[in-house]
Amino acid sequence: MESNQQPVLTKQDYFKTSLRSYVLQNGFNYGNYQGTGYANSIFPALKKIYKDDEEKLKEVTISNLEFYNTNPQLVPFITSMQLAMYDGGQSEDDTRAIKFALMGPLSGIGDSLSQFGLAPLFSTIAAGMALDGLIAGPIFFILCMFGITFGLRMLMGYLGYKLGTSVIDTLSEKMASISNIATTIGVTVISGLSVSFVKANLALEYVTKVEGKEQIVALQTVFDKIAPNLLPVLITSGVYVLIRKYKWSTYKLIALLIVAGILLSVLGILK
Amino acid sequence: MDASLGQALLVGLFVSFCLIGQLIGIYTNRAIFLAFGVGLILGDVQTGLLMGATAELAFMGFGVGAGGTVPPNPIGPGVVGTIMAIAMKDSGMDVATALSLSFPFAVMIQFVITFIYSLNAGSLSWATKAIQEGNYKSFKLTSNFTFIGFGVFGFLIGLVATMSIDVLRAFVNIIPEWLISGLSVAGGLLPAIGFAMILNVMIKKEYIPAILLGYVCISYLSMPVIGLAFAGAILAFNNFFNKGNGGSAIEQEEVIEDGI
Repeated sequence: MESNQQPVLTKQDYFKTSLRSYVLQNGFNYGNYQGTGYANSIFPALKKIYKDDEEKLKEVTISNLEFYNTNPQLVPFITSMQLAMYDGGQSEDDTRAIKFALMGPLSGIGDSLSQFGLAPLFSTIAAGMALDGLIAGPIFFILCMFGITFGLRMLMGYLGYKLGTSVIDTLSEKMASISNIATTIGVTVISGLSVSFVKANLALEYVTKVEGKEQIVALQTVFDKIAPNLLPVLITSGVYVLIRKYKWSTYKLIALLIVAGILLSVLGILK
Repeated sequence: MDASLGQALLVGLFVSFCLIGQLIGIYTNRAIFLAFGVGLILGDVQTGLLMGATAELAFMGFGVGAGGTVPPNPIGPGVVGTIMAIAMKDSGMDVATALSLSFPFAVMIQFVITFIYSLNAGSLSWATKAIQEGNYKSFKLTSNFTFIGFGVFGFLIGLVATMSIDVLRAFVNIIPEWLISGLSVAGGLLPAIGFAMILNVMIKKEYIPAILLGYVCISYLSMPVIGLAFAGAILAFNNFFNKGNGGSAIEQEEVIEDGI
């Protein structure tokens, strides 16, 4: 199976495998994460490549079961490239190296793009429409998200197939830049959204005398003049530190914030 | 308001489909879509839309499963919360309170999903053995195990939640007033977890300007989200084209504001 073999996969096989990126997570588990699903998604194509050699088919499928965890929207890029390498008779070590080299960068770019970029963008627009009582809101959200991510999957499958094995080195350099750009946009949006969606308002008031008249001033208005959204920033930062430095789990954090919310509300500090 | 068995079955099927959508990645398992569907089936689309929009904004930071972590599930507010809001609308339940009250369900569903992921944790050895024996059907089964688990669980949660409107109503009635307003304050704090989790995954020192930019754009300039994305893009391209020329020296005067 070493070299100079005629490729057996057609464009259609690559297209089908890209469509099969939708089954990637159907076997998601805490053992090998997407590993089983990954092997399952390329299995029909592998079957075609190794149709005369069942032992080889078993060997390659089993080697693809190992731990894998990347972005499901961009994974067709990896499967296409990997299949092109198998089909071209490249060594299994090289193929595996590429597969794992692409895992991190693609999940970084993909997550920035779909989870932190597209989804918040369209969900805020759709939520705005729904708040106005428009049925089009949720439908618009699903159609946009599905349409864009479907196009992305197919494009990635095509690019992976086109690039084959040739330009990996220059590509991974570009990957770093693309990832940086996507992450910068993502962080900007997330940071901005976090201060507007975390809600904490001081209920405290104090009485002051202006020209002999008593006036009640809400402490919150004073804060808003100097540093708007200061409390949400402090709370988000605090939670961030608990996650980063003290490795708090989500459960602990939810418990903390619910207890804190109830206590601060009962004590009349927050409203 | 009480639901018929037919409605309960429909909600079950709908939730099953939506939860599976989380695995295959078609974005059906978001509060905005869940609440809309439940509202449609239960005959109160307007409450469904309102609940969906409110919960979607609150849960947006939780829409993330970076590195296989399981966030609180939008089915909590999207299904259980929407059912509460619709069923108890006449007795003064507002959407924000329904959101806070549905949080325990969001966390409970999250536990069940973690459980399903753990149930199939032996997938690697199961699949290896199946392939060695040439038993490809068994390999397909473990490849779709989580899918099946999600489908069954989604159906059950939709069906049971719709059938137990009376239980939910009784559960809400025993909660005292002070606790409800406390839960509503807590509901405002909770999105901080989701945002902090995303930032924890994405952040490096060189992204500090992006954080400050986001804060300034929203807090001082009240920009819409799309404008914010463009501002982020400008910063990103500035960094890209001015690499090594001190390209990230923006917004330094705001350093003290943001402790992240």
